[in-house]
Amino acid sequence: MRNAARRLTHRFVLIFSLVLLGSLLSVGAASAQFGQPKPVTEEADSLHTLYLLVTVAGFIVFALVTGALLYMVVRYRRRSDELPPQTHGNNLLEVIWTTIPIVIVLFLFVSSFVVLLDVEEDAEPEDLTVNVTGFQFSWEFVYDLADLGRGEGPGGEGTVSVIGTGSEEPLLVIPVNEPVEFKLTSNDVIHSFYVRNFLYKLDVVPGLDNSFKVTAHETGTFEAQCAELCGLDHALMRFQVQVMERPDFDAYIAGLASEQLEQARVP
Amino acid sequence: MATIAVPRTGSAFRPAVLDWLTTVDHKKLGILYLYFTMFFFAVGGILALLVRTQLAVADSTFVSNDAYNQIFTMHASAMLFLFIIPIWAAFGNYIVPLQIGAVDMAFPRINALSFWLLPPAGILMFSGFFFGGSADAGWTAYSPLARNTGTGMDLWIIAVILLGISSTIGAANFLVTMFRMRAPGMTMFRMPVFCWNVLVTSILQLLATPVLAAALCMLYIDRNFGGSFFDPNGGGNVILWQNVFWFYSHPAVYIMILPGMGIVSEILPVFARKPLFGYKAFVFATLGIGGLGFSVWAHHMFTTGAVLKPFFGFMTFMIGVPTGVKIFNWLATLWRGSITFEPPMLFALGFVSMFLIGGINGTYSAAVPVDFAIHDTYFVVAHIHYVLFGGSVFAVFGGLYYWFPKFFGRRLNDKLGVTQFVLMIVGFNLAFFPMHLLGLDGMPRRIATYNEADWEALNMASTIGAFLIGVSMIPFLIAVVAAFMRPKDQPDDPWEGNTLEWATTSPPPVHNFDSLPEIHSERPLFDQRHGIGGHGVHPATGEGRG
Repeated sequence: MRNAARRLTHRFVLIFSLVLLGSLLSVGAASAQFGQPKPVTEEADSLHTLYLLVTVAGFIVFALVTGALLYMVVRYRRRSDELPPQTHGNNLLEVIWTTIPIVIVLFLFVSSFVVLLDVEEDAEPEDLTVNVTGFQFSWEFVYDLADLGRGEGPGGEGTVSVIGTGSEEPLLVIPVNEPVEFKLTSNDVIHSFYVRNFLYKLDVVPGLDNSFKVTAHETGTFEAQCAELCGLDHALMRFQVQVMERPDFDAYIAGLASEQLEQARVP
Repeated sequence: MATIAVPRTGSAFRPAVLDWLTTVDHKKLGILYLYFTMFFFAVGGILALLVRTQLAVADSTFVSNDAYNQIFTMHASAMLFLFIIPIWAAFGNYIVPLQIGAVDMAFPRINALSFWLLPPAGILMFSGFFFGGSADAGWTAYSPLARNTGTGMDLWIIAVILLGISSTIGAANFLVTMFRMRAPGMTMFRMPVFCWNVLVTSILQLLATPVLAAALCMLYIDRNFGGSFFDPNGGGNVILWQNVFWFYSHPAVYIMILPGMGIVSEILPVFARKPLFGYKAFVFATLGIGGLGFSVWAHHMFTTGAVLKPFFGFMTFMIGVPTGVKIFNWLATLWRGSITFEPPMLFALGFVSMFLIGGINGTYSAAVPVDFAIHDTYFVVAHIHYVLFGGSVFAVFGGLYYWFPKFFGRRLNDKLGVTQFVLMIVGFNLAFFPMHLLGLDGMPRRIATYNEADWEALNMASTIGAFLIGVSMIPFLIAVVAAFMRPKDQPDDPWEGNTLEWATTSPPPVHNFDSLPEIHSERPLFDQRHGIGGHGVHPATGEGRG
């Protein structure tokens, strides 16, 4: 009976360690950002730093508690029928291990609060604005032509819009190294505007004027999609975000504008 | 003591079926709850396997988007409303009156009503499949999406209201039972910790469930009678739904986990042969979780842009404190113990280790800025499953192996139990750990399909893990069948238990106890076994003066 119990212990510890090791390896195998996509905005850099902080804190807690658990299980397995000492509790210990989590969570809360203030700054009126409308099941991005050619004389008048369709995912373009504000609108159900490499999402809520600001510091094309269940083809409500240099951005939007003007002329 | 009109079932003439249909015996109702909830555990599990089959590969066409939305909605609805919440009523019904030395619940007929509301609710909820499709807006039924879907949604609403009534009157029944029906000597602070957890759970149910019922009525009015509670075009507010829904559904997460913590807190002391370390601290931590549980609901809504983020982030962090206290107390219970590893203990240890992960990955959502990235991704799916599967389901099986001898007078085979545990914990981690990585990489939850090739390997691993969990149910079923093929042979107290349910036969007679031991501490049977109590003072603690 005793041997059987010991074999069970060993088996349990062995299997548990294997599971643990596997989990750690799979984490290690994930990308250099410890699982998160590469942050491409200034805000995402802060968000990522906080993520790393929480991960380190979490890993330390996990290692200590799981280590303690494994130690107890191995060290205190039943070896004789003798009754172990009947310790009922210890108030000092209770105070200590109430204080430890309080200190940890206060530290994490303060860190979170600092980052929150940092990434949720309001946009300035002169910032480039993209009006985003989520609808079942794609997106519309509207640019103001007056925002083009910033600093080099006036841009055009009117707006230009990009609408995705069921067969074609829309492309959202923004210039690099300058603040861009997204104003989010929905007229049907709740959607969520989620660009993976921004490490950020904001819900697109009917009746609510949500907006946020990012400053991208890296050019490239990034995947994005709706993150709030919105019905039948929610899974297909994808789009891409392309971050480009300012002149390229101007040229791209101007090109879109003239294209749409021509389409309007052709009856 | 209150007088209880329990119709004695001295009716050997009545057919057995009629007896089960009309019983008001808390033990039989507990067993009925158990059968009902395990049935829906199987149904929810099959739906989960359909989900995992669909997501195993990219651009899958195994099921349509429409079917997928119904499947994952019903998976969650079955698991939460028809399995986890009511299965605690199964354990609570059977065990609470026994543990406090009572002859039955305070209101046996209301108890029967609580149970008999469940089958129609389950049937209604699933009948959507025969009326043009079941509910498909997620178990969270966010409006306006849920305002405009098919008939299945109305059936779902009515079903959840019925379940809410069942759980509200059940909660009142548990509270009165524990406040008024304790045996002489069973003071509140001698009540077993499982009872305390059911007590706090009942308070949460009593306070929170009516709010859900109100929300569901508003949704029903919006859908059917031209209301506009949640329609901004009619002066309503979309976010209102989320506030009222989560005001119930976050406490509901504690409704789904606290009794599991109670079961683990019963098992660890018995198999470590020590009292639960810091009994009172544990009780206060449970009350603390219950209280704080009402102030964290909006952490489900950080990305709506419509809640006070620092406050709810702070409160969410704070709820980690009493949870941490519980984990430390469990560890200290094992410390210098004399531990054996029968299946109940394995599942209890599995609970502690997996729930720990579920606590740690929860801090990612409490850190509001981190939540911006992981909210509504598979990271959150990983989190809830580490809490509700790694936590609650492991506790369910721990409780089943632990109390099966008491319920049925038969013991589940140990080897099969160990086999189930090993398969389940490996399958569980294989199924749900990769979801952390998928979520971090940006895979949203509730998508019927994905086109990212990078996500395929992890999704496949998760699917294999899910099927392994399915396979782990085979040894369990074999153990159950094997147990029922043998005669009842279990003694009163097969585990050297501490609490009163082990002071009567297995299974107990209709009236529960022929006699009760004296109660001088939270471990009357331990005291009796070791000759402690009477007029003496507890040698180890000075507690328990007779």
